[in-house]
Amino acid sequence: MNRGRARTTLVAVPLVVFVVAGLLAPLIAPADPTANDLAAGLASPSAEHLLGTDQLGRDQLSRLLYGAQISLAITAAVLAISLTAGAVVGTVAGYAGGWVDRVVSRVIDVVVSLPGMLVALAVIGVRGPGVDNLILALALWSWAPYARIARARVASLRDSPHLDALRLLGAGHGRIVGRHLLPLALAPCLVYASTDVGTVVLAVATLSFLGLGVAPPSAEWGQMLIEGRPFLASAWWLAYPPGVAITAVVFASNLLGERLAAGAERPSIIRLVRPGRIRRATRPAASPDPGTVLRVRDLSVTYPDGSASRRVVAGMSYEVRRGQVLAFVGETGSGKTTAALAPFGLLDPSAAVTGSALLDTHELIGLAPGERRRINGRRVGVVFQDSGAFLNPLRTIGAHVDEAVRNAGRGGRRAATRRVSGELLRLAGLPDPVAVARQFPHQLSGGMRQRAQIAIALAGEPELLVADEPTSALDATVQAQLLDLLARLRDELGMAMIIVSHDLAVVSRVADTVAVVYGGRIVESGPATDLIDEPDHPYTRGLLDAVPRPRTAPGTRFRTMPGLAGGGPDDLAGCGFAPRCPLRQDSCDHEPPALQPLLPATAHRSACLHPPTREGSC
Amino acid sequence: MRVPDRLVAAGGYVTRWAADTVGVLLAMSVGTFALVLLARGDPAAVLAATRAGRPATPEQIEAVRVELGLDDPAPVRYLRWLAHASTGDFGLSLRTNTPVGPEVADRLGVTFGLVAGSATVALVVGLAVGVAGAVLPRGPLRGALRIGALLVTSVPAFWLSYLLVLFLALRLHLVPTSGMAGPRTWLMPMAVLGLPAAGVLSRVVAVTLREALDRPYVRAAQARGSRPLSIVLRDGLPNAAGPILSVAGFGIGSLLVATVVVEKIFGWPGLGAYFVQAAGARDVPALQAAVLVMGGGFILANRCADVLHGLIDPRARRSSS
Repeated sequence: MNRGRARTTLVAVPLVVFVVAGLLAPLIAPADPTANDLAAGLASPSAEHLLGTDQLGRDQLSRLLYGAQISLAITAAVLAISLTAGAVVGTVAGYAGGWVDRVVSRVIDVVVSLPGMLVALAVIGVRGPGVDNLILALALWSWAPYARIARARVASLRDSPHLDALRLLGAGHGRIVGRHLLPLALAPCLVYASTDVGTVVLAVATLSFLGLGVAPPSAEWGQMLIEGRPFLASAWWLAYPPGVAITAVVFASNLLGERLAAGAERPSIIRLVRPGRIRRATRPAASPDPGTVLRVRDLSVTYPDGSASRRVVAGMSYEVRRGQVLAFVGETGSGKTTAALAPFGLLDPSAAVTGSALLDTHELIGLAPGERRRINGRRVGVVFQDSGAFLNPLRTIGAHVDEAVRNAGRGGRRAATRRVSGELLRLAGLPDPVAVARQFPHQLSGGMRQRAQIAIALAGEPELLVADEPTSALDATVQAQLLDLLARLRDELGMAMIIVSHDLAVVSRVADTVAVVYGGRIVESGPATDLIDEPDHPYTRGLLDAVPRPRTAPGTRFRTMPGLAGGGPDDLAGCGFAPRCPLRQDSCDHEPPALQPLLPATAHRSACLHPPTREGSC
Repeated sequence: MRVPDRLVAAGGYVTRWAADTVGVLLAMSVGTFALVLLARGDPAAVLAATRAGRPATPEQIEAVRVELGLDDPAPVRYLRWLAHASTGDFGLSLRTNTPVGPEVADRLGVTFGLVAGSATVALVVGLAVGVAGAVLPRGPLRGALRIGALLVTSVPAFWLSYLLVLFLALRLHLVPTSGMAGPRTWLMPMAVLGLPAAGVLSRVVAVTLREALDRPYVRAAQARGSRPLSIVLRDGLPNAAGPILSVAGFGIGSLLVATVVVEKIFGWPGLGAYFVQAAGARDVPALQAAVLVMGGGFILANRCADVLHGLIDPRARRSSS
């Protein structure tokens, strides 16, 4: 951020030079800008005339400096008038509200949307050239943005308790507007003015160039160029300095405006072109089990965090087999979604992913985007959490599904593609595919949107379906229907499936294996029945206590876990759950406990040094 | 197949849009007429002097005053002016004492041709540079595109013209310095008009497209294996269409006004050059005609951008009425 601020300062340098040169022109100019000396006409730059002389022998450097003076004076006048008028009009309109506000806002809208040069030319055209008319012509349209800014600032305060208090104290409208609101509105207006300098300088120069602004013999920059026009080809010192001066001021002003408008520039999203900083993992020696669709080993995900970096997933290993459902369960921010999507390159491109992820025998970590397209949409389908955000609001459901079908190489002629899309929508449990295909995402219910996403994910007849919180935003009945649909698809299509959810009770309905994620690590994993019936890790127990279960005795109070979730895998030296754990002991703070089988040769593993089941406490 | 559906669904929207547009154009005509009221000096005296070839007598001025109906109330004069203007009759030029309408009509083709050419430059270059700016990784190339775009928008058109004339025409002899004869004479005017507009457009495309590509549905499109180009064209640009179209409409409309500089420099006999002559001579009827045509074209460009956005994005139809 400091670097950004330093750059903003740097950008403003030409503006400062412009102001200083304009103010000090009479002091620093070496000669009188209007003093003719025909004998010394068109002299090239020398010690006497640093920027040479023009056709009348006038010193170019002096004319350039006095040009800054004229430009600065006119710009200052225009900005002072428009800023004052705009701020007052906007403040009054914003404070008054009602029809006054509506009418004024409409006028502001119209003036803002007018092309400034057209207004200026028309006004000067009927009033005649000259500095006063130039200022009038420019101020007539440049006040409007200030009014808009001031109005917005004041309107947001209109109903604030602060103003009510002032009124109760007996302050009149005039006093409230003048003493309290106007100063507030002026601040953003002043910021905008710094970016408006360029527009005004450019307009002044252009109008003078057209012979409608500042008249000769004044040394205005645009005027200088048109006066020197016949000699520009032979006398470069006449051609360049005025143009460079205008360009520098306008450029600095534009750049400043862009910086201020954007705030600090955010890191860009470049996933389309480059897959981010992904390092290829070392291949594991062991050949995978033939039934294993996805085998992930030692997966870590790191995001840049300012100048440092922050791990959000640390050394996770998991696998999912054909016809089986693996569920990732954990609280928001635990890293479960990141862990599930990282192998497929679906994270922010700034994420650095390490480890290994074998889809069948294909390493997924470090794939180029072109290779990814042979995996994503064909061998792997993804269903995202519904917030309506994962479907393009401007395209119909049919367009989405058709595209997925074509991407998977199953499309053909339009009619053939449509037929496949229709089948997919029906497979996802949408009874009237033709009608649904014509609808836009916002016209569907959340449950139907999820079914549409499932249809899209199935387009490539994938081996693996990844579903990130597929039912979270839905009501309980729809949740159950969707989970049943997923379970049926797993059986019918023999897919492997990864379901990410914060709700252990929900996923227990379909999951074959469960991995509980806390603070970027798997803290417990195993067959769903074992894990739910005999949870080992205190965190898993906490999750189960927080939801109603069939065998809970009536009247039991659900316990909630104290403390907040969150924290990365490297925030603490020891067990990440220790600060919230009721069973914490001193040894928990030394190093993160490893995920170990509860009994030799069982799939049920837990990462806890002092689990309640094994030590009998609690 | 889907387009007709969309158009039918948007029928009411288009009708409302057309009515609104007529209203805005009428409002602008009022403003244009009101220029007369701002005028310094007596148009009747100016015209009478033009006809007499010397300062006119009070009787001559009074005759012109009656002839032009200058003593009627302003609303009456406005309606009369509008009625005439709608048939292409803008009265007599105070400068030349010849009808303004035919002169403007003669010059329209030149100016619209120039605007069409430079609008093409602006759209093609602006979109290409903007898309590159959105998808390129942060680095020197992206920075150079950004600075280049800001730079071309900051160079005054008249100076840029001089630079091009100095290098392309006088030094390299690639193109003639001015005039309007043959395709090569179009290159410099089109570049001078089109490049700054392209610069502005590219900035908006880069910023809004980058934002659109950050949306979840883009991740979903990647998950179903869509190509980058398809994602930019189908998911990115349509969702960034609002700001892009409104800047493109404003930019193309503004090209019309920017012709005043370029036509003067390159000696083109278009409406822009006429506008400058009229403004220099305080020729109010000619000014009104130029302002009405240019302002009307400007408004139409903006309104077309609006309606296009409404057709692309159904959600935009509600807000813009």
